[in-house]
Amino acid sequence: MSLLRISDLRVSYPGPSGPVEVLHGLDLDVEAGARVALVGESGSGKSVAARAILRLDTDAALAGSIRLSGTELTGLPAKRLRAVRGSGAGLVFQDPLAALNPVRTIGWQIMQPLVIRGVRRSEARRRGIELLGRLGVRDAGHRFDDYPHEFSGGMRQRAVIAIAVIAEPKLLIADEPTTALDVRVQAQVLELLSGLADERHMAVLLITHDLGIVASFAESVVVLRHGRVVERGLTDDIYYRPAHPYTRGLLGAVPRIDADPSVRLATVPPGTAAADAGPGDDPGQPEMPGEKQNETESP
Amino acid sequence: MSEPLLSVTGLVKSYPGQRARSVDEVSFTIGRGEVLGLVGESGSGKSTTARCVAALVRPDSGSVLLDGQEVTRARGRELRALRARMQMVFQDPYSSLNPRMTVEALVGEGLIVQRIECTASARRSRVIELLELVGLSADHLGRYPRSFSGGQRQRIAIARALAVSPELLICDEPVSSLDVSMQAQVLNLFRDLRERLGLSMLFIAHDLAVVRYICDRVAVMEHGRIVELGHRDQVYAAPVHPYTRALLDAVPLPDPRAERARRAAQSA
Amino acid sequence: MTGPGATSLTARLLGRPAPLTARAGSRRRSPVIERVAVAVVLFVVLIAIIGPWLAPQDPYLVNLPDSLQPPSMAHWFGTDVNGRDILSRVLTGARTTLSATFIVLAVTTAIGILIGTAAALAGRVADEILMRVCDVGLALPPIVLALGLAAALGPSLTSAVIAMIATWWPGYARLVRTVVTETRDAEFVEGARMLGVGRARLIFRHILPNSLNIMYVQVTLDVAAVMLVISGLSFVGVGAQVPSAEWGAMIAAAANNVQNGWWALLFPGLAIALTAVAFNIAGDWLRVRTDPTLRGR
Repeated sequence: MSLLRISDLRVSYPGPSGPVEVLHGLDLDVEAGARVALVGESGSGKSVAARAILRLDTDAALAGSIRLSGTELTGLPAKRLRAVRGSGAGLVFQDPLAALNPVRTIGWQIMQPLVIRGVRRSEARRRGIELLGRLGVRDAGHRFDDYPHEFSGGMRQRAVIAIAVIAEPKLLIADEPTTALDVRVQAQVLELLSGLADERHMAVLLITHDLGIVASFAESVVVLRHGRVVERGLTDDIYYRPAHPYTRGLLGAVPRIDADPSVRLATVPPGTAAADAGPGDDPGQPEMPGEKQNETESP
Repeated sequence: MSEPLLSVTGLVKSYPGQRARSVDEVSFTIGRGEVLGLVGESGSGKSTTARCVAALVRPDSGSVLLDGQEVTRARGRELRALRARMQMVFQDPYSSLNPRMTVEALVGEGLIVQRIECTASARRSRVIELLELVGLSADHLGRYPRSFSGGQRQRIAIARALAVSPELLICDEPVSSLDVSMQAQVLNLFRDLRERLGLSMLFIAHDLAVVRYICDRVAVMEHGRIVELGHRDQVYAAPVHPYTRALLDAVPLPDPRAERARRAAQSA
Repeated sequence: MTGPGATSLTARLLGRPAPLTARAGSRRRSPVIERVAVAVVLFVVLIAIIGPWLAPQDPYLVNLPDSLQPPSMAHWFGTDVNGRDILSRVLTGARTTLSATFIVLAVTTAIGILIGTAAALAGRVADEILMRVCDVGLALPPIVLALGLAAALGPSLTSAVIAMIATWWPGYARLVRTVVTETRDAEFVEGARMLGVGRARLIFRHILPNSLNIMYVQVTLDVAAVMLVISGLSFVGVGAQVPSAEWGAMIAAAANNVQNGWWALLFPGLAIALTAVAFNIAGDWLRVRTDPTLRGR
């Protein structure tokens, strides 16, 4: 049985004239300990899917099924859902600064998932410091009591990862975990995630637009476009034998350090909503890609 | 060998409250028709350098010579004339265009301010020409930026910059905020424009692969200093400075086999 | 290195797409209530304009025999202690109260924009000086200044209005200064500077139009506040004086005699309350409508 099984997931957000569906029937399986990448550009619905799994948006309407270790998440009452968050599945966000509470110490935030599960503070602190050290934070014992603004970007992201995994979830959902980071820090963070996943036999669902990090991290890939899956397969198959023209276009459009620079970058073929037709915004926007944003500004 | 178009020497800039200098004795040149890439991580000082060259920020010391004219001390009419010769394209397509101006007004503003075209109809034809140059059309004249995608907004920004026929285009992370597909289109556009118009460019980016696609020479910045500067192929194939090497090693390749090989080599 | 997720004020003003995290938790009022509120606002403004002509009777005519009559067919809202028809006074007072309110807002907005913009753009020294002047204004509560002016010039609606203006403009100046400071550093302003756009054009074509959004909404929200303060000043006797039909003054006059004539207190009180609430809700609706990050809510 898969650790995470998503069947025909449809997500709608309220729009100016009624609910707008932004994810049109996602099927996705993540086995225990597997590494799956959900790849897409903005407006593809990948972040929407990530947020839907843990029901983070109260205004999102879900249809379909999300099963985590056999438990159906979609109809789950809030209390049980809270129990799942952190120990069933952990979530790492793109922007560590926004994900961290600025007025609480890093340590306090890392301990929270344990404390609310009844772990004694001293024990939670010990485990938190150990984890932070494992994630490469030097002098973790002291830095544990620092505030987010005293950490650098890479450090903050490590803190966010610590918060997400300290309650030993079986699944880690990482939504653009390295986009805001410098390239060397990015490499380190991905190493860490990889190491953690191996140690704990933790599955990772990596959500990203970056085809570079997917190649080194994921075993299988699902490609999303405009809320639909256009291709899925093992990483090697996707990269070396892409079937769908969108996937091919995407791979050809990425500049590579080892490619011949005189070869022109490929352009992605237009789809149901042409890439250039309208605002390619984050899927959170109620407007469908291709529609003009029609809100008026004040006079 | 003609004189370089842009000659930057000993540029220094520090901000109050910061311990180290943002820009610490930076020097480089850009020849006519040449593209120089400036790479570095956040905090390396590359954006500040760009803004000093563009005369948006006054450096503490150092000189920026555009075709022999000193930019850092120019003011008033002299500055305005210099401005026509170098333009900037910014990173964020959402905040680099005045949301209350139509595409026509945005692209045409340079024409008005630099007194390039005298009549409204002449301006309009020139604007349409520019829009077509960047892959847009006359249909877009009366629309506002908010109804365009990020990639299209960058094109509008590029058209706006080209309106005054600059010789040097300073691009500060122009594709970093764009999706992969739009990024490719805008990068191709830069290459085409450079060929057609003989533009020189100072191209700033943190993405080493992007820089390699566009640039002839590359400068690598760390903590406000240039640690390596050379021709593209040389820097990428045989980097001298350890920092450059570290950066290149960290760049992920969209190639699973190559990545596995690299990992194996590293752990060996 | 920053992705499209900034939440700065400028970003919101420029219609940047909102990050998902910014959306969770906002709630929307029932659209019915909002429409009712806007209708009430329009209605009140209408009354302010044509009220005096609608009044069935002379609002100033003293008619002691008819003193404190309860609401009846002859007097829909009853009469006050001087026998004046309350309905007529409420209708007429609308103009007094609201025009005083709008004068205060118009003048303070103008001063606020001028000073705020100057503080943000004219350099550090000017900024310091102007902000200290603001501090003086902010430190003074309107009532203290109104009492002072009343003592010096004699109490009147005019002295109340002057007192309000003098103490209200610093709030706007501060607000404008904050927004202009942020807009001044926006990339589109840098882009304009790159083109060689001169100072004047930069301010009037680029900076100001993108900074004043906030003012429209803030002013709408402040209508209720200013109105309440003006009425309050009249209530304590340093604003509009009898026989003026200003709502606050009417409440003051009626307060002594509530047990004999509750209607003299109720109707002007209701008028103030309903107008204030309606403007608040309408102001809130305007804010939601013009804030691009709250689209769809």
